Amino acid sequence: MGTTKKISLSEEELVSKLKSRDTIAIQALYDMYSGALLGVISRIIEQTEVAEDLLQETFIKIWNSADSYDSTKGRLFTWMMNIARNLSIDKIRSKDFKNSSKNQDIENNVDFIDAQKEVTFNADTLGIKDMVTALKPEFNDVLNMVYFKGYTHVETAEELNLPLGTVKTRIRMAIMELRKHFN
Amino acid sequence: MEEVKAYIESGILELYVLGQLDAQEQREVEAMASKHPEVKQEIEAIELAMEQYAIQNAITPSAGLGDKIFEKIGLSENAEKAEPIVEAVKEVKATKGAMVIPLNTAPYESKIKTLRFALAACIALLVVSIIALYSAHNELGNAKDQIAVLNLNNEKFTSTVNFMKQSNADLQKIIDMANDPDWKTVKLAGTAMDPKAKMTVYWHAKGKHVMVDNSKMDLPVNDQQHQYQLWAIVNGKPVDLGVFDVKADSTHILVNMKETGSAAAFAVTLEKRGGSVNPTMNQMVVVGNVSI
Repeated sequence: MGTTKKISLSEEELVSKLKSRDTIAIQALYDMYSGALLGVISRIIEQTEVAEDLLQETFIKIWNSADSYDSTKGRLFTWMMNIARNLSIDKIRSKDFKNSSKNQDIENNVDFIDAQKEVTFNADTLGIKDMVTALKPEFNDVLNMVYFKGYTHVETAEELNLPLGTVKTRIRMAIMELRKHFN
Repeated sequence: MEEVKAYIESGILELYVLGQLDAQEQREVEAMASKHPEVKQEIEAIELAMEQYAIQNAITPSAGLGDKIFEKIGLSENAEKAEPIVEAVKEVKATKGAMVIPLNTAPYESKIKTLRFALAACIALLVVSIIALYSAHNELGNAKDQIAVLNLNNEKFTSTVNFMKQSNADLQKIIDMANDPDWKTVKLAGTAMDPKAKMTVYWHAKGKHVMVDNSKMDLPVNDQQHQYQLWAIVNGKPVDLGVFDVKADSTHILVNMKETGSAAAFAVTLEKRGGSVNPTMNQMVVVGNVSI
């Protein structure tokens, strides 16, 4: 475990080792995705300490529920990301978290979402900054709410006073922009 | 084909990737994906985009967090390896089960251990208690014996004291009688029947009191069928003054007899128990005249 060499494995290898409970899998997953997952968690919960606790919980859950991952239903990262997001959203909605951070309580209004956008713009990665600015704000808002703030798309539609179809379309458009950027 | 395109463009696949669908809707998307390769491709493209997006926005965790996580997972891994279970994918569920057991059995075993200690302590305590009880029982027996002995001594002492008190009172009375001229001391001497026999009678003529002095009596011990009878000779005739016994362990020195106001002499005969109306003259043991 003391090795400093980063481990990288193909997705098939990762899945098979994870399912056979080979600890090398969790080390590889950590080396490959801990940053990405912490990025996702940190977009939902800003406090570094809490976010890292959640990252730890996420990896333990990945390890313990490896059986429930079905590669035919989606990529490993999607599954892991949703574990991280769900744990984070559960945390931010939990009573103790709300009580311990009243001043950071989520307010169900768009202004807050707009304010959050600034954080998005401040992303260290230059490419992302370009990419995010390239996104139209209205697409960005919708993606932020669904992807990072734990809103369901139905709640987002109510919140932004938009038809459900429009919300769906905007999410799709935002992701299309991302795809254009990465592919 | 148009239908598939419309399905893709509806935005449901993005919601699927974002985990926004309920179980029913998820199953529908999965069914569509397995039926239409385009749908599956589209889902993958969305997933890759989100993945890239996340990787681009990565935040490096604090150093040491990884080790903390591995340690937590490694701990359960070690517990798992302690179980002699074959490493096979099929066994994963079984090993997962085994992984849980050590966590629970550890406190369980320590509980049993504690209970064993408690049992041993209880037995030891019981043994000590029995020994203590036995010794206390013995001590109590000894104490009871001692109390019985003390009581016996006490009774002896009391009876001795009573005897001495009585003797003292009687002796005091004898002294008083000697100083009182009204009391007459009559010494009775043995007859031909028993020349060695002798006794003393005190007589108070005015008060009519008659007493026999045990301490100055020397008569043969009488048996159960007979008693000595004291007679006063008044005007030449014997008058019954009552019977008395001669015993080795008499407690009283002075014995009160029947009263008589006058007597010329006193005599004692051995009679049947309870006494006779007239003295049996040939059984007269002692006799003495009253000196004026």
